[in-house]
Amino acid sequence: MIELRNLTKSFRTPAGRKVLFQNVNAVFPEGKNIGILGRNGVGKSTLLRIMGGIDYPDSGRVVTDQRISWPMGLSGGFQGSMTGRENAAFICGIHGIWGGAKRKVLDRVQDFAEIGDYFDAPVKSYSSGMRSRLAFGLSISVDFDYYLVDEVMSVGDAYFKHKCEQVIAEKRKTANFIIVAHSMPTLKKNCDVGIYLGPSGLQIFDTVQQAIALYQQGVPKPE
Amino acid sequence: MHPAVQRSPWQIQRDVIHALLIREMKTRFGKWRLGYAWVLLEPAMHIMLLATIFSFLGREFYPGIPTVLFMLAGIAPFICFSHSFGKGAVAVESNRGLFNYRQLRPFDAVLTRVLLEFAIYLFSLVSLLAILAWFGISARFGGFLLLVGINLLFFGFCLGISLVMCVVGTRFPEVAKFAPMIVRPLYFISGVFFSLEQVPQEYHRYLSWNPLLHMIELTREGLFASYQGMFADLPYFAASCLMMLAFGLLVYRSQWRDLVRSQ
Repeated sequence: MIELRNLTKSFRTPAGRKVLFQNVNAVFPEGKNIGILGRNGVGKSTLLRIMGGIDYPDSGRVVTDQRISWPMGLSGGFQGSMTGRENAAFICGIHGIWGGAKRKVLDRVQDFAEIGDYFDAPVKSYSSGMRSRLAFGLSISVDFDYYLVDEVMSVGDAYFKHKCEQVIAEKRKTANFIIVAHSMPTLKKNCDVGIYLGPSGLQIFDTVQQAIALYQQGVPKPE
Repeated sequence: MHPAVQRSPWQIQRDVIHALLIREMKTRFGKWRLGYAWVLLEPAMHIMLLATIFSFLGREFYPGIPTVLFMLAGIAPFICFSHSFGKGAVAVESNRGLFNYRQLRPFDAVLTRVLLEFAIYLFSLVSLLAILAWFGISARFGGFLLLVGINLLFFGFCLGISLVMCVVGTRFPEVAKFAPMIVRPLYFISGVFFSLEQVPQEYHRYLSWNPLLHMIELTREGLFASYQGMFADLPYFAASCLMMLAFGLLVYRSQWRDLVRSQ
């Protein structure tokens, strides 16, 4: 269960404070995949990060007993001078995975990322595709109750994309997702509950279809 | 693989610090030839260079104690302090990417760096003393218990000041630029390369406010049996360390969400 209590978040802008959402209360029961949609700059990623405990609201709080992942496929935490293996071992370490369990995770990451011997080369020598494959491999190799996905399905080549989709479908049997995306098919396929972030604040719908319908009202129809 | 299910806060803290320590060691020393030998070589070169310059200046600073040893006892803790000070100020900026992991907060970055600085300081001090003793430069040893006590307090002091600098340096990034400018004068008034007796009497009561001065004097008292620090005041040093630690923790606690919050 993830509960939002009186959540308020605003950003400082030169023209004064811009409120993203105010006094939001919501309860997401266990087993629900959440989709967040809205136009650019309305605070989708910020909401995602607040739900994941990475960022903090101005007031209110998020109450949960679930283990929530870091944003999937995030490579910002990598240290360039360390090898892929060392970076992966570090992530395992902060999640309390040591010894034999760590070796298993590292094998899984190497296997999934398909970077072969580069796994033992410094991350700064990776291409951006290799970097995101490593990051994605790490995300799916550590088990959580909830995974945060921020537009990640768009990385890599077609083959890798397909592989990611398969893995996510597999993961959905044991875990839930909170997804920020602009791709409606992705949201329709993966989400149960929809959150629409608009200029007037935040609206929560029991089905993602309703949120999509509202979102598409503002989109001009193709001629 | 499941992260160990429902770790206690203490376990999480321990895991994070452990992983961060390995990471810091790897990034700081892993990329060079000789690798971890630099843990020792880096401060050793710094200390020996300064100590040699000052010992060439000639006279003995304190009767019965070789100048190199006298300097070493002053420079080693000072370097530990100045690194804690400077690294605290940039702790948030240089670890931004890591705060995407919810269990890793600025406190962990600061604590890790201070722990590492402190370990390097103790390790290099002990090995340099051993090396010098092997070459026949030694003085009669003072008291072990005093050394343990003041170093525990000194760790609290470094952690406290590093936490304060972490908050100040993040809220006011300009301060990070001034950090070296604040540390430089401290170098001259902390008794690193003189003992306070050589300063005119009327300035003594101002200079003796400085906890670093007490740390250095007490370190010398602990290391050398014949050294009598004129100003070394253990109760004052203990009180200022505990106050600095408490102040650092309070400042951090009142501000920590703002350090990582998007504004």
